[in-house]
Amino acid sequence: MMYYIIHILSGAIGTVGFALLYNIRGKKLIIACIGGLISGTLFEMFNIFLQNEVLAYFITAMMVAFYAEIMARVVKTPTTTFIATALIPLVPGRALYYTMAYAFEGNAGLFANYGLATVKIASALALGIAVATATARIVHKLIEKRHYDKVN
Amino acid sequence: MQKLFSNAMDIGEQMLICGAEVRRVEDTVRRMCSAFGAKRTDVFIIPSSMVVTVYMPNSDTYTMTRRITAISTDIEKLHNLNNLSRRICSKKDMASEDIHKEFKHIMSGKAYPFWVGLFSYMIIAGAFAIFFGGGLADALAALMIGGVMRIVTVLLEHAKMNQIFIKFVCAFGISTFALGFMKMGLISSIDSAIIGNIMYLIPTIGLTNGLRDLFAGDSVAGLIRLIEAILNALGIAAGYFLFTFLLGGALV
Repeated sequence: MMYYIIHILSGAIGTVGFALLYNIRGKKLIIACIGGLISGTLFEMFNIFLQNEVLAYFITAMMVAFYAEIMARVVKTPTTTFIATALIPLVPGRALYYTMAYAFEGNAGLFANYGLATVKIASALALGIAVATATARIVHKLIEKRHYDKVN
Repeated sequence: MQKLFSNAMDIGEQMLICGAEVRRVEDTVRRMCSAFGAKRTDVFIIPSSMVVTVYMPNSDTYTMTRRITAISTDIEKLHNLNNLSRRICSKKDMASEDIHKEFKHIMSGKAYPFWVGLFSYMIIAGAFAIFFGGGLADALAALMIGGVMRIVTVLLEHAKMNQIFIKFVCAFGISTFALGFMKMGLISSIDSAIIGNIMYLIPTIGLTNGLRDLFAGDSVAGLIRLIEAILNALGIAAGYFLFTFLLGGALV
């Protein structure tokens, strides 16, 4: 349990670091930080329940992207603000590093293992973002249309 | 109209530089031009260039292009520019001078000072060293390396070096410093310290924006961003390769 708390908290602190780097301020800084907290927590939960890392990455990325889309509309700011920060704890830094390290060490077996893992995770994240973005656009269009119908 | 159009281009250009995705900028420029009374607006934007033509009801046409050379992410400016464009679109009759004044005011907004950048690199490196399974000693080492790398990055950016070269230098510096800390006996393995520091080299905004543009149907803009991200990753790998090469592959 202690491990998970430290893990999730460190992910959120890292997210704050990125938020500061991108010059995110005030209320948006807090929302971005909560996004990092959510993505770390959700990923660990889904990873335990589903026992499938790639699927856990996909679902978490999707839900976090939804969170980003919703919050962006609440505080009226570009979605990039929250999507690029909240997804940071999901970036496969470890797999990337070992892919690189084993490539230069000449260990083809482990290189392939980690390389494949990196590609799988990256695809899962991309797909998650895509689903959320597409859904958000459809919902947004529907709301806009209803609003338009009401006015006229 | 020409002045108003130029205002719209300024806002679009700066939004792109501050880290907005291409689709959003295209949409914003189009909406602003309609608010200024354009009959039709053709917008073509890729991460390095903007081409916009507006057609006025009195059959005047104007075309402007902007070349974008550098990206420097600044969400606060992006947020304010976005608000300004929203106001322009809802009011419809803002004077060119007013828009220009507000634009200047937004652009003069302060970025965080140097030490916040330093601090952010340090906590990113330290936090992710722990996140990816390192101990307290790894985090401390990563934190110190992060601080040094921020100074290196700022110096290189000041000298107008390109991003790929900066990533290359940083990756080499990170690995070398990590090895130094290991030789001093502070950490038992260089892995966690390096992973924590690689995090801030990964172009996350470029990647997410590229993906979102790609899935929104703008394949050209999306692919350019993704290729930039891949080149950046190759820069990191090259820096790390130089490090292992100089060691003769003995220590990895």
